[in-house]
Amino acid sequence: MEEIITTEKLSKQYKDVLAVSDLSLHVRKGEIYGFLGLNGAGKTTTIRMLLGMINATSGSAHINGMKVHAGNTNLWKDIGYLVEVPYAYSELTVRENLEIVRRLRFLDDKHVVDAIIDRLNLTQYAHRKAKNLSLGNAQRLGLAKAMIHNPQILILDEPSNGLDPAGIYEIRELLTSLSKDQGVTVFISSHILGEVSRFATRIGIIHEGKLIKEINSEHLEQLCKKRLRVKTKNNILAREVLLQNNLICEEIHDNMFELESESAIANPDEIATLLVNKGVPPTMLNVVEEDLESYFLRTIGIKGGAK
Amino acid sequence: MKNIYVAFCCEYKKVSHSKMLWITIVLFTFIPMMMGLMIYVVRHPEISAKMGLIAAKASLFGNADWPAFFGILHQSVATIGLIGYGFVAAWIFGREHSERTMKDLIALPISRSYIVTAKFLVAIVWCLFLSVILIAVGLMMGKWVGISGWSHEVFVHGMTKYFVTSFMTLLLITPVAFFAGYGRGIIVPIGFVIITLILSQFIAIAGFGAFFPWAIPGLNTVPEGTEGMQLFPISYVILVLTCLAGYLGTLAWWRFADHHS
Repeated sequence: MEEIITTEKLSKQYKDVLAVSDLSLHVRKGEIYGFLGLNGAGKTTTIRMLLGMINATSGSAHINGMKVHAGNTNLWKDIGYLVEVPYAYSELTVRENLEIVRRLRFLDDKHVVDAIIDRLNLTQYAHRKAKNLSLGNAQRLGLAKAMIHNPQILILDEPSNGLDPAGIYEIRELLTSLSKDQGVTVFISSHILGEVSRFATRIGIIHEGKLIKEINSEHLEQLCKKRLRVKTKNNILAREVLLQNNLICEEIHDNMFELESESAIANPDEIATLLVNKGVPPTMLNVVEEDLESYFLRTIGIKGGAK
Repeated sequence: MKNIYVAFCCEYKKVSHSKMLWITIVLFTFIPMMMGLMIYVVRHPEISAKMGLIAAKASLFGNADWPAFFGILHQSVATIGLIGYGFVAAWIFGREHSERTMKDLIALPISRSYIVTAKFLVAIVWCLFLSVILIAVGLMMGKWVGISGWSHEVFVHGMTKYFVTSFMTLLLITPVAFFAGYGRGIIVPIGFVIITLILSQFIAIAGFGAFFPWAIPGLNTVPEGTEGMQLFPISYVILVLTCLAGYLGTLAWWRFADHHS
């Protein structure tokens, strides 16, 4: 499939800080690529380099086969973007802000402003000054500026910031439909795996400036770990019994312990029988699946918020 | 040309909706009105006798005739213009950083150099408009107060010198625009304007004003033949080179710097 966004060993160094290191990405046409990382992981720096806002220290980026650099104005015709918190000219209304973008993008059709206002549900705020918008509506205005020219590529940095749950759902549906129906390529960054994993077709995880994992979303569920959680009235004895059967347990909170053994997870009934026969019947036996957030944290080497 | 026109219209829209335009208009209206009132005080000793400090200030205005009043307007456009025009440039360029809208101007089908040039064009129009307000209100106040010594020659000479000084001051906005980018906001360029204004006073007094760009418009207002205060051909070259350096520096900064705001 045609590659739309590619980076080759892209790096950015600020004095002593290596913000992005040897990043090689390949985003294909029509993909929704979720770019995940904690705050400060290098997501925004990467996006700014993709948009020619900051210069790479080394490596290169190409979009639509054209090398990204500040002087290549043709490159931006088909790209819509939103970087970090969107800001607008505070003294101008929503409509006037969009009118400026329309003109700077050389869009002759004046109706595109009305169309994007309608599409982003900003109609009732069209004549409101940007300084009086709520955070959520300011975010919608930012998205409207990114999408006014119906771009074939969308580069969005944390587009859900400030949106309420209905707004997040709405944007998710909009991006999914753009990707599926119009073949729009979406590169979207977020620090919330749960949100992006719902609609991204591929996910890249960046940590401390390095791309540490790329996953197709359909494989994501399989990568999440399962565990067998056990609770008894005598956990010390129960763990001894299991250890004698080569089953390693790890104690966790709430007077429970966990087993990671695949056979135990596949056959919890056998574990129950074993414990009953040794006089420590389980009071709770539960197979739990790691959620996507935990998977994300485990992948970047953080557990419970601490390394 | 279409690129410049589009960028100019967008910049014009931003400026025309801003409070800053009205603040500068009020300021450039207020200053010549106060000057006219000072001249009025000078011309009426019975009033000045009652006004103490204001009368003392008014006496600094010297002869209350049209050549003297034009001289004051010339000095005003050289000094207040330096601050006012500098502020205009600092705001037009610095606001994109302070309002964090710079990123919206970076990855567009229109070249950044057109946006920079359009910003300068809007700044020039705005500053010339302020110049016209200053002289127009000044002339009206002069007529209202009834200043003596009006003649066609005085008017033509006064107006020519006023607009030449205004144009010379206008050339100095380009380095301010550069510092708006370098300082990523409005504070640094305003600081730059204040520093250059202070330096220009000292350097002019020291006799080197003809070689210091920010002192040159002021020296243009000094009566001819004043010792140590005359301009040389190189002064005009220095002024133009400073303007060019500021313009090219601003273009280069927009084109090559890392943009984080």
